[in-house]
Amino acid sequence: MLKISNLSARVAGKTILNGVDLEVGDGEVHAIMGPNGSGKSTLAQVLAGREEYEVTGGSVTFDGRDLLALRPEERARAGLFLGFQYPVEIPGVNNVYLLKAALNAKRKAEGQPEVDAYEFLALIKRKMKFMQMSEAFLTRGVNEGFSGGEKKRNEILQMLVLEPKLAVLDETDSGLDIDALKVVANGVNSLRDANRSIVLITHYQRLLDHITPDRVHVFAAGRIQRSGDKTLALELEEHGYDRAREGRVA
Amino acid sequence: MSSSAALRSFEALWRARTPDPLATLRGEAMRRVVADGLPTTRDESWRYTNLRMLSAQSFDDAPAPAADAAARVLSLSSLAGAGCAPSIAIVNGYPLLGDRQNQEEFADGSMEITNLRTLAARDAEALMRRFAASADSDRRRWALLNTALFIDGLHVKIKGAAAPLLIVHMSEAGRPNTAAHSRVIIDLEPGASATIIEHHIAGGEHGVLCNSAAEIALAPGAAIEHYRVFATMNSTTHFDTLDVRMAKDSRCREYTIAIGGGLVRATLEAHLDEPGAALDSQTLLAGTDARHVDCVNTAIHAARMTTSRQTARAIAGGTSRVIFNSKVIVNEGAAGADSRQSSRGLLLAPTAEIDTRPQLQIHADEVKCAHGATVGRLDPDMLFYLLSRGLDRATAQSLLVFAFLDDVLTGMSSAPARHAIETALIALLPDAELLRAFR
Repeated sequence: MLKISNLSARVAGKTILNGVDLEVGDGEVHAIMGPNGSGKSTLAQVLAGREEYEVTGGSVTFDGRDLLALRPEERARAGLFLGFQYPVEIPGVNNVYLLKAALNAKRKAEGQPEVDAYEFLALIKRKMKFMQMSEAFLTRGVNEGFSGGEKKRNEILQMLVLEPKLAVLDETDSGLDIDALKVVANGVNSLRDANRSIVLITHYQRLLDHITPDRVHVFAAGRIQRSGDKTLALELEEHGYDRAREGRVA
Repeated sequence: MSSSAALRSFEALWRARTPDPLATLRGEAMRRVVADGLPTTRDESWRYTNLRMLSAQSFDDAPAPAADAAARVLSLSSLAGAGCAPSIAIVNGYPLLGDRQNQEEFADGSMEITNLRTLAARDAEALMRRFAASADSDRRRWALLNTALFIDGLHVKIKGAAAPLLIVHMSEAGRPNTAAHSRVIIDLEPGASATIIEHHIAGGEHGVLCNSAAEIALAPGAAIEHYRVFATMNSTTHFDTLDVRMAKDSRCREYTIAIGGGLVRATLEAHLDEPGAALDSQTLLAGTDARHVDCVNTAIHAARMTTSRQTARAIAGGTSRVIFNSKVIVNEGAAGADSRQSSRGLLLAPTAEIDTRPQLQIHADEVKCAHGATVGRLDPDMLFYLLSRGLDRATAQSLLVFAFLDDVLTGMSSAPARHAIETALIALLPDAELLRAFR
């Protein structure tokens, strides 16, 4: 699904990613954990195509395509979804209309007709119920006036509607209380299947109590320092990143 | 002040006019314009708008329309038939009332419509007093020139809760260097209320120099929602002066919308003359192509406990230039005045320019005056968010532009006006079709 080889990137002249190697197979869930400032979010932004970040080396293959050659919107239509750490508020752009435009952009790229308006509304309402979101969100601007937790639910809602091949969720668990965390985790789990891959970027083990990863990676100093199975997350929780980083690269 | 070719030609037109009952007033107005000359960039409020090229040209009167032009003109207005009844056409300054004057559609008693010629013949003294009340203050030379040269105009008297009224100002000429001077006077009686939309459009081969002027007087407790929509051609030069006089507890919501025209200069001067008067001025200026839009907006708090709001949203793309200057003046003794100025500009191209400047002149104590002005580009975080959801860049940009203008659009209580204005705005932006689906 995703193959990152020796990826380096910088922003404003400062190198943030420094030789990232990562391979995510079809249907796999990977967790990337690491301290603040290690470059995890930069990796997510670079994968989604944020122009402020300059890729200085390496390659990324997504679903057999050269991801770095695609514009951000092309990456999205090809099936890459970024769940933002800090979803931006866009007053004046309706939340649901954005979703509909996003879905239609994807369908158009796949050669499908536009979604029927009634079917779409029914779909949205179903997914919102699953995400335990109030229908009041239907009429609001994108993330406008949403609490931190509501914004994260909205990200997952978008993911459920767009059904991406690869979802990169950047600290989707931060700022969530226990109940919201469960709702978000349910959302993510509902999307797991053999043809879909998920990369979870997180600080904490607690999300992984609800979403069981196939692989766990320790990210520090702009690259993956160590990889393992789900037990690595527990080790990190117990001993902290410094100790884990010293361990052998699996 | 040396006289320009333009001014000389206007003076010649004035001399050639057949004297009418307003001749004294017109002569005084012309004398003042000649004494001061047409505005130049040396005038503080004209520093961004250079009329040198225009001043070097001579102008003739724009042609009188055919008597049956009204239906054709109304059909050209995107606002016609959109819930505004009645509608009136003014072509090159000539109101085309035909036999509709004082007719039954106004006969519910809420509205009385007369042309100024008829009014001047009936009671010139009263009309002169009405002009004198509004034309006393300043160096608004285009409005004075309008007073000197208008051929006819429209008087609208609102006596009750009136249905929305659409006035379509059309300018059209088959030859270059013509000028039209549209005049509208709107009086609201105590407690009366109205929505009035003035839609300025243009046709014909050559852009007309449009010099429109309007005065609104609100009696105690009266309320108006007034729209000025400038949607003329790229070859049109437009000067518009609006003067609002507000008595006790009257309310005025004024929309100034510039979505067309080559050069548009729109002036609003609102006099909050008595306690409780409340002005809410909303301005939306769209600069595209090489358009030049200059808007000057002044609220004069002349009494205690008066309120003004000035909100402006400006976008500028291409090589356009958009200027918005708002000013609040609080006179001595106008304690309790409450004003707020909010002006935001969005640059869509590196070759475009937006200048905005909120100004305050306060001569009273215990007032509340807030102001803010920003000019920026599209928020890169918002843009990236939309792109990351698969939207085309052009669509994403258009959506954000629209979102930026939303503050002004959502406040419009006339749904048909809002719809028509949105439609016209959408047509200016890329990916219009998708945007339509969003509204």
